Amino acid sequence: MAATGSDVVIYFDGTSSRRHAATLVFSDALEISLDGETKARWAYADIRRADSAPGTLRLACQGAPVLARLEIRDPALAAEVTSRAANLDEHHLGRRGVAKIVGWSLAAAASIVLVVLYGVPLAADRLAPLVPESFERRIGEVAERQVKIVFGEKVCSNPEGQAAFTKLVNTLRDAAGLDTSVQSNVLHSEIPNALALPGGKMVLFDALLAKANNADEIAGVIAHELGHLKHRDNMRGLIYNGGTSFLIGLLFGDITGSSAVIFASRTLVTSSYSREAETGADTFSIEIMQKLGRPPKAMGELMLRVTGKEGGKGLTIISTHPLTEDRLARMSKEDQTPKGPPLLTDREWQALKSICVAGSKV
Amino acid sequence: MNQFAWTPIGEPPPVPVPPPLPAKLDFTGERKGFLHMVARGAGLELVTLGFYRFWLVTDIRRHLWSNTVIDGDAAEYTGRGRELLIGFLIALAILVPIYLAYFLIGVEAEHMQVLASIPLIAAFYVFGQFAIYRARRYRLTRTVWRGVRLWMTGSGWIYAWRASVWLLFAIVTLGIALPWRAAELERYKMYHSWYGDLQGSFEGKGWELFKRIWWIWLLMPGAIILFPALPFLYARYKAEEWRWWISGIRVGGVTLNSRLEPTALTDLYWKVIGWYMLLSTAFATVIGVAAVSVARVGAAASGAAAGPDALMQSIPVLVVTVIGYMALALGLGVVTRLYLTRDLWARVLQTTVVTNIAAVANVAARGDIASAVGEGIADGLDVAGF
Repeated sequence: MAATGSDVVIYFDGTSSRRHAATLVFSDALEISLDGETKARWAYADIRRADSAPGTLRLACQGAPVLARLEIRDPALAAEVTSRAANLDEHHLGRRGVAKIVGWSLAAAASIVLVVLYGVPLAADRLAPLVPESFERRIGEVAERQVKIVFGEKVCSNPEGQAAFTKLVNTLRDAAGLDTSVQSNVLHSEIPNALALPGGKMVLFDALLAKANNADEIAGVIAHELGHLKHRDNMRGLIYNGGTSFLIGLLFGDITGSSAVIFASRTLVTSSYSREAETGADTFSIEIMQKLGRPPKAMGELMLRVTGKEGGKGLTIISTHPLTEDRLARMSKEDQTPKGPPLLTDREWQALKSICVAGSKV
Repeated sequence: MNQFAWTPIGEPPPVPVPPPLPAKLDFTGERKGFLHMVARGAGLELVTLGFYRFWLVTDIRRHLWSNTVIDGDAAEYTGRGRELLIGFLIALAILVPIYLAYFLIGVEAEHMQVLASIPLIAAFYVFGQFAIYRARRYRLTRTVWRGVRLWMTGSGWIYAWRASVWLLFAIVTLGIALPWRAAELERYKMYHSWYGDLQGSFEGKGWELFKRIWWIWLLMPGAIILFPALPFLYARYKAEEWRWWISGIRVGGVTLNSRLEPTALTDLYWKVIGWYMLLSTAFATVIGVAAVSVARVGAAASGAAAGPDALMQSIPVLVVTVIGYMALALGLGVVTRLYLTRDLWARVLQTTVVTNIAAVANVAARGDIASAVGEGIADGLDVAGF
């Protein structure tokens, strides 16, 4: 069978853009002839379909020049070729191909989720101690500058208050078994809070001092922050957050601008990690206070005064800290009547409370 | 009798050849088929958590390319999703150390001066421009017409350098230099683009674009206050830009010219906005209904009305929100691809005229395929185009 026609069969030989009006001969292979001369022989098994506009059957052939194309615009002729070329659509992504993509994607997703849940926390715990102290201190200095930009520059250090603060911190530090590299400051800020920074830095805001009723409450908070330093929670958190952000970003790629999904799932995972670290620091605080014979419950009471009751507010699974009342309940369970000597005298406590009042006389 | 020979001496003067009829560009793709393809693709993206994007974007390009008919012959896109996936994985291997280095340098820079790490973001911009150039090279070398592929030379880094310097210049001039920047970058890209052994070039001038869009630039501050005017202005700007761009393209002796009307794209942008509002309203309604019914059930169970905090904690409401959000995002993806990819493409093509197409009647094939790494990096940095 042969077919001719100026625009029915067109052959591009893949070496130039010239349109050749071709004639097809169906022998044991598809013979393409131009002006009566056979130009190419395409084995039926090697013929593949190439993309084209509707109404045109465009063919390529494995083994022929990669871009050689045969275009057939006659339905009957196209049907004839289609019936002979058994592997016409073999290279196309069929249902099985799609199923394979779906399957492997789910497998990749599952392994990423497993790594986020189990691998990254483990890596963070193991890697954090390996980070050189000097590097951690550098990050800490950067963090401290940023803290000062956000919360204010003023470091409070009137001599009497500073003496009391140093005494309190040193007592707790010794009990915690931390070395003298721990640095601590009181910053003037309206926000009642305390922070542990990478590289053994601790910052206490004086608004928290104002809310405190006695030295034990502040001691509990300092012990809690020392717990973060001891556990190197900052470094662990940094590694953990970096790792999870990266992996979750990888997982969702760019599913139509899904940064909200990435943000949401990251918040879920990292806040659970952060709650764990907070609980760990609380445990540390309880142990230190018991060791010094002071009541662990005091810190919980201060926290409750600052935050109020938290239950029923917001979404507990995305908050970075456990509920204050839960923390207080836990500390109350471990509470004891004071056996040890007070950590600060009344006079020292008053001096500490007014550490931000310049040159104050108590 | 003297007979005059009225036949002229020598060769007859050539009959003036009428200028060749301009060849039309046409788009033959079926809208319904495209919609079905992107809707199915969106579903698969959801199921595969986004990994299907490599195959979806390939399918979209195959559809657009193979329905783009130039002088009676359709183009062909020979790229495959698998290549994009591999390109993306290689890009990851390149990007991970870069991100790590970025972090470490950032710490050092902040150590010396607070907020000193901001210039590093500029480094990512340069890298993004590099990726854009390399991604274009990938797409171009997968484009075949009449059995001959397009290809590209030039350096991604030189391009990135030019793009960045010109951007600085545009920032300094408050955007006035943008048309000249576009012309300069397009010249670089087209000069390094080839169809077989025919070299491309770009003849659009920055001044021509500036003449057509300067008033948009002037109206911009007012439009930000009167924000419903923004889509009109943006659509107008895009139409002018397309028209200017197409009309500047030359390949060998082939000339392109665009007759795109300045308002030709306005309705497309409004349709997307309309769908966006419709889908968002549907999303809000679904969440509202879920919240109210949960509150009712809660009130019936406890005898007291549940507060907004309790609703935030309600797992059913959360699930409805997450699923609704996914559906919203995917629905918007489908709408955007239908109007701003397919319809826009079709309109631009149907208003484009090619003259002297005979110049490509016998072009020798040259050039080789480029890897998809550039496209992978572009994907990783979120600067991917079509």
